[in-house]
Amino acid sequence: MAARSTSLGFRAGLIVVSAAVALLVVVPVSRLGYVVWTESAGGLGQVWSRPGLARAVVNTVVLAAGVTVVAVPLGALAALALRRSDVPGRAWWRVAMVLPVLVPQFVLGYSWTQAYARAGFTDTVLGVPWPAVQGPWGVWAVLVVNTVPLAYVFAAVGLAVRAEPDLERAARASGATGLTALRSVTLPLLRPSIAAASVLSFVLTLESFAIPQVMGTPSGFTTVTTLIYRDLSLGSDPASFVEALALALLLVLLTIIVVIPADLVLGPRLRVSRVAVTEGAPVEQRGGRAGGWIAAALSSYLFLGVVLPVLALVAAALTPAVGVSPRPDHWTLDNFRLVLTARTFDALGRSAGLALVAATALTVLGVAVAVLERRRSGRILGTLVTLTLVLPGSTLAVALLITYGRWIGGTLTLILLAYLAKLWAFAHRPISGALDRLPLGELQSARASGAGPLTAARTVALRPLAPALLGAWLICVVTALHEVTMSSLLYGPGSDTFAVIVLNSQELGRIGPTAALSVLLTLFLVVPALPVWLLIRRLRTSTGATGPAAPRGVADVR
Amino acid sequence: MSADANGVPVLEIRDLTVRYGDVEAVDAVGLNVGAGEVVALLGPSGSGKSTLLHAVAGFRPPSRGEIWLQGRRVASPEKSEPPERRDVAVVFQSYALWPHLSALDTVAYPIRRRGGRRRAAREQAAELLGRLGIGDLADRRPVELSGGEQQRVGLARALARGASLYLFDEPTAHLDTHVRGVFLDELVSRREATGAGGLYATHDAEEALGLADRVALLNSGRLVQLGTPEQVYAEPVDLWAALLTGPASLVRAPVSASADDLCTLAVGGRSVVVGTTVAVPVAERAELLVRPGWARLGGDLPGRLRSTRFRGEHTDLLVETEVGEVLIRQPGPPRHAAGQRVSWTLSRVWPLAVSASGDSSGTR
Repeated sequence: MAARSTSLGFRAGLIVVSAAVALLVVVPVSRLGYVVWTESAGGLGQVWSRPGLARAVVNTVVLAAGVTVVAVPLGALAALALRRSDVPGRAWWRVAMVLPVLVPQFVLGYSWTQAYARAGFTDTVLGVPWPAVQGPWGVWAVLVVNTVPLAYVFAAVGLAVRAEPDLERAARASGATGLTALRSVTLPLLRPSIAAASVLSFVLTLESFAIPQVMGTPSGFTTVTTLIYRDLSLGSDPASFVEALALALLLVLLTIIVVIPADLVLGPRLRVSRVAVTEGAPVEQRGGRAGGWIAAALSSYLFLGVVLPVLALVAAALTPAVGVSPRPDHWTLDNFRLVLTARTFDALGRSAGLALVAATALTVLGVAVAVLERRRSGRILGTLVTLTLVLPGSTLAVALLITYGRWIGGTLTLILLAYLAKLWAFAHRPISGALDRLPLGELQSARASGAGPLTAARTVALRPLAPALLGAWLICVVTALHEVTMSSLLYGPGSDTFAVIVLNSQELGRIGPTAALSVLLTLFLVVPALPVWLLIRRLRTSTGATGPAAPRGVADVR
Repeated sequence: MSADANGVPVLEIRDLTVRYGDVEAVDAVGLNVGAGEVVALLGPSGSGKSTLLHAVAGFRPPSRGEIWLQGRRVASPEKSEPPERRDVAVVFQSYALWPHLSALDTVAYPIRRRGGRRRAAREQAAELLGRLGIGDLADRRPVELSGGEQQRVGLARALARGASLYLFDEPTAHLDTHVRGVFLDELVSRREATGAGGLYATHDAEEALGLADRVALLNSGRLVQLGTPEQVYAEPVDLWAALLTGPASLVRAPVSASADDLCTLAVGGRSVVVGTTVAVPVAERAELLVRPGWARLGGDLPGRLRSTRFRGEHTDLLVETEVGEVLIRQPGPPRHAAGQRVSWTLSRVWPLAVSASGDSSGTR
């Protein structure tokens, strides 16, 4: 692709994309550092000693560790269990393990409170409440449920590409029992995937906002992100503002402290090439009831973690008032009628428009970086974009706010910029991965058959890349629709997204309407997402499966 | 060479059927491997070779039938012992070396599983690697090894298992002479003790015929023929088996008379007496197989050279004759041009659709 005409295009693309990276990420984050530095001149100690701050930092770190040590083993266990051929409905379970990510984080958190809190579903129906659900334990439990799919996908992909069945058979044929083979062969092979999932789980929990906000804040449990939110939306004194900035900076530092050593240790290991690649085949099992037990365990996990809470949410949306038993004869659509106001529809439209514009722009930006980084001079762009993964949403939002707020503060444009900056890496990675897997010979043979570079890309590369492009687009749409971390900090009058409306309604404590809004938001997301997802699956199988379905389920955990 | 006359066979497969859903990947196969014997499973991909090996190794339970190792039943539809409790070692298709272990630790692995101490296991492993000529690669991981070196590590691991049956699941490359020698030496040295055998799956006829004491031809899960390499080559049960085991031509000619090892055919107007190994039934129009070495140029039969292909050591000639096209293999470079009239001689035929002689249809 080194024709002279494309060299010009390449240079132009390089300049445009570099400018975008600078404006979206580099300038705002530098500005954040600069403002914290100047604003707190002499007063940084004062900021750190503010009441509750140390507590929030400790909470955040302990929570991230607690979620990781439970969610990652659970996800890995599920992946190992679902390789057994004797689990009834295996193919279905593999999809079911990932589906919970379609429920927005704060909707899931809110559903849990509707299901298990005092006056919740289990209390009303069975008289068994779990009051601690509104507090650190509830936050932890929901974050675990929310993180298990991520760990599951990492472990499942790791198993499919690294633990070929013959490697385990070789251990068995060498005299190892099933357990010894697991310990001495499968787990060591899986270690890099598990470690990567752990780092990601830790980092995502560090920057998680919605679940701690919905379930922790009412009981006084604070984390760094909820403190930033409180400082910016409620605090009016300059000290809270400086505190929010300092916390935003602290959050990114915490992330970096974890990610950089992890990348140094893990990076090379994850890149260790394999001797041979075969598809991850099921492990043959016979006899015993293990398969049945596994199916039972998975059902109860999914039922208690996702299905029952969502049902409780639907029940709450359909019951007229708190305390009314959620029996069918009490059901009414009043709550829906109440919330389906012009303001809601406006917000829905804004959210949809924002998500579609952001996703489309992000797919283009993702392709741009993926193409540019093939050349030596563009490689730094790929690295920079990947680095934005460690930027917590709260940090990014605060940085953008103090950099561009005086011109476009409170507008949808600012939220759009935040999405572009935050999700760029999410769009870039799957596209870049698919491009890596595209055999160079296919493009070369198109060129040798007389196609120009653009024609070659359109006729030969577009079709095999389609699942990745569509997948990246879908990840961005779903994530943008879910997103409240940044939009709740950045919205202004007339630019509140639908997710923000739901969050605000929760804060006002209007249970029925909030439940109705949450149901609407979830439907709003699941209904269009499912057909696109099915289309991607079909494209994937008809192109001959370009590798494992890696980052699709990974990214929409926000 | 069938060694199951003296004592218990190393492996005995009785009426084995393995189903995947409702597809019978292995269909009612019976097969023995004697001590010191190597049996090759020869068949195209999808013929059930791997499934058969997997059933013997214990990776897949039988749907019907039994598997006996050294006189002990290890698998039946009711009970299938796991691989680690069977006395088998496996060399895998792409060697299945563990990416996280060095060559030394890989080979020490089966010894450790037998309860060997780490140090003793490593010493033994180093000795095995040395025997295979890769003692200096002990610290390398699989990614740092070439294909041939990986094969040697894979075989060393299998040998370290000290099993009485070695299974080869279509090794991607042929065993080179040295590796094959080490393996066969091992079988010989073990014959005195308990006796060991090998079952070698391959789709390569040349490899199967050159390596094995007996060859089993598999087609869609069924055992089509079982016999010595000479038998399956010279006396195939049908055209499929004939073409699987090597190049051959099919001629059609009337058979007018037949004795035990001779028969008289009519080629054009001439009556020709040729050798065979079975009584050929007298027929108006018999289908007869001719291997490339069973005919030669020169003689009194007329023909026309259709094409020649120089293959280094020898030349393959396709000759158009009165009984059909015949492939003839001559030593040396081609001496005739395509299109030229040539004369030829037929020395031997094998009648198809006549059941093969003796025990070549199976030694149960």
